[in-house]
Amino acid sequence: MSHAIKFRVLTATLSLMLAGATLAEPLRVSKPVSLRQAVDDLTLAAANQDMVLVKMQPIDSALVKRGFDDPHVRLLFIGSETAVRWAEAAEPRLLNLLPLRLTLIQHDDVVLVLSDDFAAWRREFPEDPANLLLKAWESEIKALFDDFISQ
Amino acid sequence: MTLTLRSICLVFALLWIAPASAEPPPEQMILTTTAQGRNIDAAVAALNQAIVNHNYTFVREQAIDSRLVPYAQEVRSVRLVYFCNFAKMNHALKLDPRAAQMLPCRVTLVETPSGVDLIAINPAWVSQNLGNPALHAECKNLKQDYLAILEEASM
Repeated sequence: MSHAIKFRVLTATLSLMLAGATLAEPLRVSKPVSLRQAVDDLTLAAANQDMVLVKMQPIDSALVKRGFDDPHVRLLFIGSETAVRWAEAAEPRLLNLLPLRLTLIQHDDVVLVLSDDFAAWRREFPEDPANLLLKAWESEIKALFDDFISQ
Repeated sequence: MTLTLRSICLVFALLWIAPASAEPPPEQMILTTTAQGRNIDAAVAALNQAIVNHNYTFVREQAIDSRLVPYAQEVRSVRLVYFCNFAKMNHALKLDPRAAQMLPCRVTLVETPSGVDLIAINPAWVSQNLGNPALHAECKNLKQDYLAILEEASM
């Protein structure tokens, strides 16, 4: 391989690495189901993690009802009393992240589910106990996603 | 070999230095203001009026532990107010469906001994990591709307 080609490959690789370091890192999972089925499956998965569906926000139907195109997007807000009490005690600014949000985006026959970007929050709260709490919530969402996929 | 090593060093140097000098300063995570001397009911009422005045629609209000505890046991001192502008929501979602991660708009109200803190997550902080310049520009406008609503609600 010539020096010129090596140089280009190297530049491209490093650019991708550095770009990736600053981009969002929400947890994500996808499954070939309808939006409605995804909501049901996620609700069950949340219950299995001792979490409760607080609110389903049908952005798709809300926009269609007002004459806009269907974005095929819904939101689920899930939570637990424990999470609220821990946030109140550890770092009240974390209450802004509760109830936890799941973003559902349908594309063709697949639903993509995204969490909030816990990595970005952890960068803002590098000290414990806030950082520890964020890690715990991230683990709960990971377990919820594993459950969702296994159904 | 020496040439390759020099190339690596040069690429690292350029990639580390160039973004630092060209990028705008990072967005702050939290937008906040305080409504001095108000209780939480008065602060919620003022916020709802400010939302309408800035052409947004009230979506819902709830306690932070709504549906997690019986209604009678809900915490009264921390409330969430959700609102949106459907045209702006539609535009943002067309730019990038991941915009849903900052929708609908939300302000958290926390009652303190001296008044009520009104807190929002800066949408431009969320969008700066999404890597979509068009969405980030939209979110910077949304941030200005938040600031205007928070300012009016706290007056």
